[in-house]
Amino acid sequence: METKPRVLVAIPAYNEAESIGTVIERVRESLPDFDLLVVNDGSRDATGRILNQLGVLTTTHLCNLGYGRAIQTALTYALRRDYDVLITLDADGQHYPEQVKALYHENLGAGWDVLIGSRYVESHDYARSPLGRRIGMRLFSWLVRLVGRQHIYDTTSGLKVIRRSVFAPLTRWHFIDFHAEAIVYLLRLGYRVGEYPITVAERKHGQSMYSLLSHVTYPLKTLLILLIAVVEAELTRRSRR
Amino acid sequence: MTTQGIIVLIAVGLTLLVWILDLVRRDRLYVGYGIIFIGTILGALLVLLVPPLLGWITRLVGALFPASALTLLALCFIVFMLVYVLAQITVVSNRLVIVVQELAIRQAASVSRAESAKDEPQGLERRTGVDL
Repeated sequence: METKPRVLVAIPAYNEAESIGTVIERVRESLPDFDLLVVNDGSRDATGRILNQLGVLTTTHLCNLGYGRAIQTALTYALRRDYDVLITLDADGQHYPEQVKALYHENLGAGWDVLIGSRYVESHDYARSPLGRRIGMRLFSWLVRLVGRQHIYDTTSGLKVIRRSVFAPLTRWHFIDFHAEAIVYLLRLGYRVGEYPITVAERKHGQSMYSLLSHVTYPLKTLLILLIAVVEAELTRRSRR
Repeated sequence: MTTQGIIVLIAVGLTLLVWILDLVRRDRLYVGYGIIFIGTILGALLVLLVPPLLGWITRLVGALFPASALTLLALCFIVFMLVYVLAQITVVSNRLVIVVQELAIRQAASVSRAESAKDEPQGLERRTGVDL
């Protein structure tokens, strides 16, 4: 008898007190069959208290480690607790949990190792994003195509369906935000990464994790780590032989 | 280099040496870092006390004056130490990340296990028929 895949929905949260309650409510309604884990990444507001009240399974970082490390905590948890699929969602309420099922079934059907919920795969239109982000999106999409030999239109989406096959590779090495650098790393290792169209809502509460300064530092850091990811993937491939 | 300059540098070198040895003794500086500094200070003192060595180094690095050669070497040492210290900070920071993640995962895993046990409280009792 074929067993049902064990699925974990992970939501990294940092100071998301205003939106986390609604997001959890919607996830529970839309995805009742899936387990839910919130990675409270050292929030200083009431996020932790709200999570306690809601009785959500939470991994709490004692200090803020950043988005990438929060995802890595979720991956490690999923790996150790024998989950087959990990779905990551943003805590700011921009993703519609109702769309996750379609993404999940597409992932199961087509056998993607990572399936990205993409805002741009259908329209190819970055025009609605702010200028800085638009440039970044185009740059990293182009870079992924250049070094990963595949066009990924939305490299910064936080909605991903990740198969168990890549849990270990993604925890073995550090990534900044599991964006272009992680995509390139997986593509270079021969894993299948795909995109599936989604829509996102405007952020209603809180602030984006990208500050003014990070609009300068993020592309530089990602660029460097992306290049290192190519080397790292090559070394991993050689060590496998 | 003038005799006065050499005396000043030797005095500074010896003071640094004593300071570093004291830091290592009081466990304020890791012995490995102490070795790097002591080695460098002793090397600098040797160069200062053996003039032909300083002349040879000056020619080796292509400097016109011995003072320029020493400045270049000092600059190289500072850059090396800066990179080394930042690398060490990164190592410590990564260890901290691992500890924080591990604590978070273990805490969640224990909660999850407790909840699973709560969901099937008498499961084992029922199956075995014995009082556990």
